[in-house]
Amino acid sequence: MSLAEPATLPVAASAAPRLHVVRRFSDRFKASLPAYLLLLPSLVFLALFTYGAMGRVFVDALYQRATPKAPVRFVGLDNISAVLADPYFTGAVVNNLVYAVGTAIPSIGLALLFALALARTSAVNSALRAALFLPVLIPMVAASALFLFIFLPNVGLLDYYIGRLLPVLPNWLGDSDIALYAIMVITIWKNAGYYMLFFLAGLQAVPEDVMEAAHLDGAGPFMRFRHIILPELKPTFLFVIVIATLNAVTQVDHVFVMTKGGPSNATNLVLFYIYQQAVEHYDIGKASAATLLTLAVLMGLTALSFRTMANREGGP
Amino acid sequence: MLFTRRLMLGIAMAGALAFPALAEGPTEIDLFFPVPVDGKLARDMGTLIKEFNDGHPDIKATAVYTGSYDDTLIKTRASIKAGKPPSAVIMSANFLLDMQIENELTNLDGLIAADGTTKEKFLGQFFPALQGNAVIDRSVYGVPFHNSTPLLYINADKAKEAGLDPSKPPQTWAELTDWAKKLTKREGDKVTQWGIAIPCAYDYCGWMMETLTMTNGGRYYNEEFGGEVYYDTPSMLGALTWWNDLVYKHKVHAPGATPGPAVSTSFISGNAAMMMLSTGSLTYVRDNAKFNYKVAFIPRNVRNAVPIGGASLIIPAGLEADKQKAAWTLIKWMTSPEKSAWWSRATGYFAPNMAAYKTPDMVDFLNKNPDAKTAVEQLDVAKPWFATYKTVPVRKTLEDEVMLVLNGKKQPKEALVAAQKAADETLKPYNAETSLKLP
Repeated sequence: MSLAEPATLPVAASAAPRLHVVRRFSDRFKASLPAYLLLLPSLVFLALFTYGAMGRVFVDALYQRATPKAPVRFVGLDNISAVLADPYFTGAVVNNLVYAVGTAIPSIGLALLFALALARTSAVNSALRAALFLPVLIPMVAASALFLFIFLPNVGLLDYYIGRLLPVLPNWLGDSDIALYAIMVITIWKNAGYYMLFFLAGLQAVPEDVMEAAHLDGAGPFMRFRHIILPELKPTFLFVIVIATLNAVTQVDHVFVMTKGGPSNATNLVLFYIYQQAVEHYDIGKASAATLLTLAVLMGLTALSFRTMANREGGP
Repeated sequence: MLFTRRLMLGIAMAGALAFPALAEGPTEIDLFFPVPVDGKLARDMGTLIKEFNDGHPDIKATAVYTGSYDDTLIKTRASIKAGKPPSAVIMSANFLLDMQIENELTNLDGLIAADGTTKEKFLGQFFPALQGNAVIDRSVYGVPFHNSTPLLYINADKAKEAGLDPSKPPQTWAELTDWAKKLTKREGDKVTQWGIAIPCAYDYCGWMMETLTMTNGGRYYNEEFGGEVYYDTPSMLGALTWWNDLVYKHKVHAPGATPGPAVSTSFISGNAAMMMLSTGSLTYVRDNAKFNYKVAFIPRNVRNAVPIGGASLIIPAGLEADKQKAAWTLIKWMTSPEKSAWWSRATGYFAPNMAAYKTPDMVDFLNKNPDAKTAVEQLDVAKPWFATYKTVPVRKTLEDEVMLVLNGKKQPKEALVAAQKAADETLKPYNAETSLKLP
C-alpha cells in the first residue's frame, strides 16, 4: 500500500563533503548533550531490560543441544533454518498474516467511520466517543475472559441469541474453521475505539477554510471527503497502520486465555509459537531464533514507519 | 540534585533486593504453588503454611503463588536457571519425568534413608496408583500432594425423565451410548440437549484420550520408559473411533473441541445431560447444580481403568543442604494424613495419603458427601498419568489430530498415524540418547 511510496523521496540531500558531516555531527552532539543526560536513566533501563535481553536472545539463537543430556554447542544459523522449516512456524506466520490484515482493515475502517461521525464536539458525541473508547480500557485478558462466556457453545450469549436463527449452533472457539475469526472479532472490537482517537485528532488538523472554500465551490460531502479529508489524514493512516500491524504481532493475550493456539493450531500466532517453543518444548535455541526473526520484521516495520514520518515532516 | 537523590534511592533499593536478611535466624524456604482450579485455594494455602510456621520455629516457609501448572513449571525453571531455585514446588505430576531428564530434580532417596525408613515404606503411605508418577528409575522424585481422576457426571433428573435409572449408571461404552441417545433431545435437525459432553482442549484432550484408551484396554505410553507413546494402536483407534461415532454417527455429542469450563457450564445449565470431567470439578458441580446429579466410574469397553491427574511436591536440584532439609520437613508435614485430609476437603481433590481417609473428620465428610467417595473408590483401578520426554509437545501432537477428527476434518485412523509420526519425531533426540544408543 502507501507505506512504501514515500521511501523513494530522500535522495537529494546526501552529497555534502565528509568532514563537514563529521563536524556537524559533533556540534550536534555537543548541543544535545543535556538531552542525552536527561535520557540516561531510561536508557539505562532500556539497555538492561530491552537491549540486554535482545543481545541474550541473539546469543541463545546460535546454540543448541543435540540430545537432552548433551551440552549446548554452537550451531550457527541451524536454529533459524529449523524454525523456517517448521510447519508449525509457517502455519503461525500464515495465521498471523490473515489475522493482521483481517484485524487492521476492519478496525481502521470502523475507527475512521466513528471519527467522521463524531468529529463535531457535542455532549452526545462526547458520550458516544467515551462509549466507543471503553473497550480500550478493558485489559485484553479480562476482555478475553468475558468473550469466553459470550462464545460458549450452546449456552453462551452469542448462541443464545443467534441460536434461534441458525440451523446448527457453531462452536465458535472449538471449530478450527471459525476460531481465528472469532479471535479477530475481539481484536477489532477492542482496537477500533483506540484508532478512532488518532483519526479524531487527525480530523482536527483538516483546515477549516479549505473545507469552506470547497463547500462554496459546490463540492459535495463525498467530494470533500475524497479530495480534502482523506489526503489530510494520510499521516494518520500511516501511523495507525503501523500500530495495527505491531499490535497484530505483539498482542496474543486472547490466544493465551481463550484457545492456546488451538484447535489444531488454527489460532496459533507467531508470538504464541515462540512461547510454545520456549516453555512447552523447552527449546531455547529455537525460541530465540523465532524471536530474532520476529524482531527483524518488527524493527523493519518500525524503521519504515519512522522514515515515512520523517519524510513527511521534512518533505516539500 | 534530583538525579543524585533518586540514584541513591535506587541504589538503596537495589541493595535491599540483592541482600535480603543476612542475619542468622530460621531457615527461610520458598514453596511455589499453582492454583489450577479457583481462587479460594490461595487462601487455603496461606492458612496451611501459617500453621506450619507456627509449629516449626526453626523454619520460615513462604508460599509463593505461581499461576497455572504450566506457569509454575516456567517460573521454577527460570529460578533454577537464575541459580536461586525455590525449596519446594507443587508440580503437575506428569512434568516430573521431563524435569528429571533435564537434571532439575533432587533425588529424594537420600532424604528418605536419612529418616531411617525405606522407599517402600515411605511410598506405601500413598495410593498405589499415584506412585508411578512419583518414581523414576526406581528413585523417588516427588511426593503426591493432591490428585484427581476423571469421572462420569450424570444429570439424575434428566435421566429419570428419559426413563433411565440414575442409581444404575452406565457401566460399559454400549450402555453409555444407549443412555446418551436417550438423553439427546432434538427439534428437527437441531439438538437442544446433548446426551454427553467430553472436554477437548490442550491438556484436557490428552487426558481424556488416555482415559478412553485405558478403558479400551490400552496404555497410551510406556510407563517404564519416556521415549515411547502408543498412538497408532488398536486400543486408541477404538477409543477415538467411538468418540468420533458419538459425534458424527450417533450425533449425541456436540462437534468441535470443547474446553473443560465450557463442558461443565453446559452440564450445569442442562444443555448436556452427562459429562466426563475431573473429580476436581466435583466441588464446583456440588455448589452450582440446581438439579440432582450422580457421579459414576468412567464406563469401560474392555476394562475399568483411569489415569490420575494432579500434582506432587518436588525439591528442585541445586539447593543448599539446610534448605533441602527444611523443605523435606515441610513436604512430610504437608502430606501427612491430617493435613492431606484437610487440604482434600478444602479443595475437592482427593487426598493421596491413604491414612487420611481414616481420620474422623474425613469419615464424617464422606458420609455427608457420598459422591466424593466414588472418586476415591475409582482409585483402585487408576494408573499413572502419561509422562514422556517433552510431555507437553508429545501430548499436543495427539490433541491436534483428535481436534481435527472432532471437527470432521480427518478420520480416526489417518489422524492417529499422523499423531504417531509427529510424536516419534519429537521423541527422537531422547531415543537417540537412550534406546537407540548402542554399544
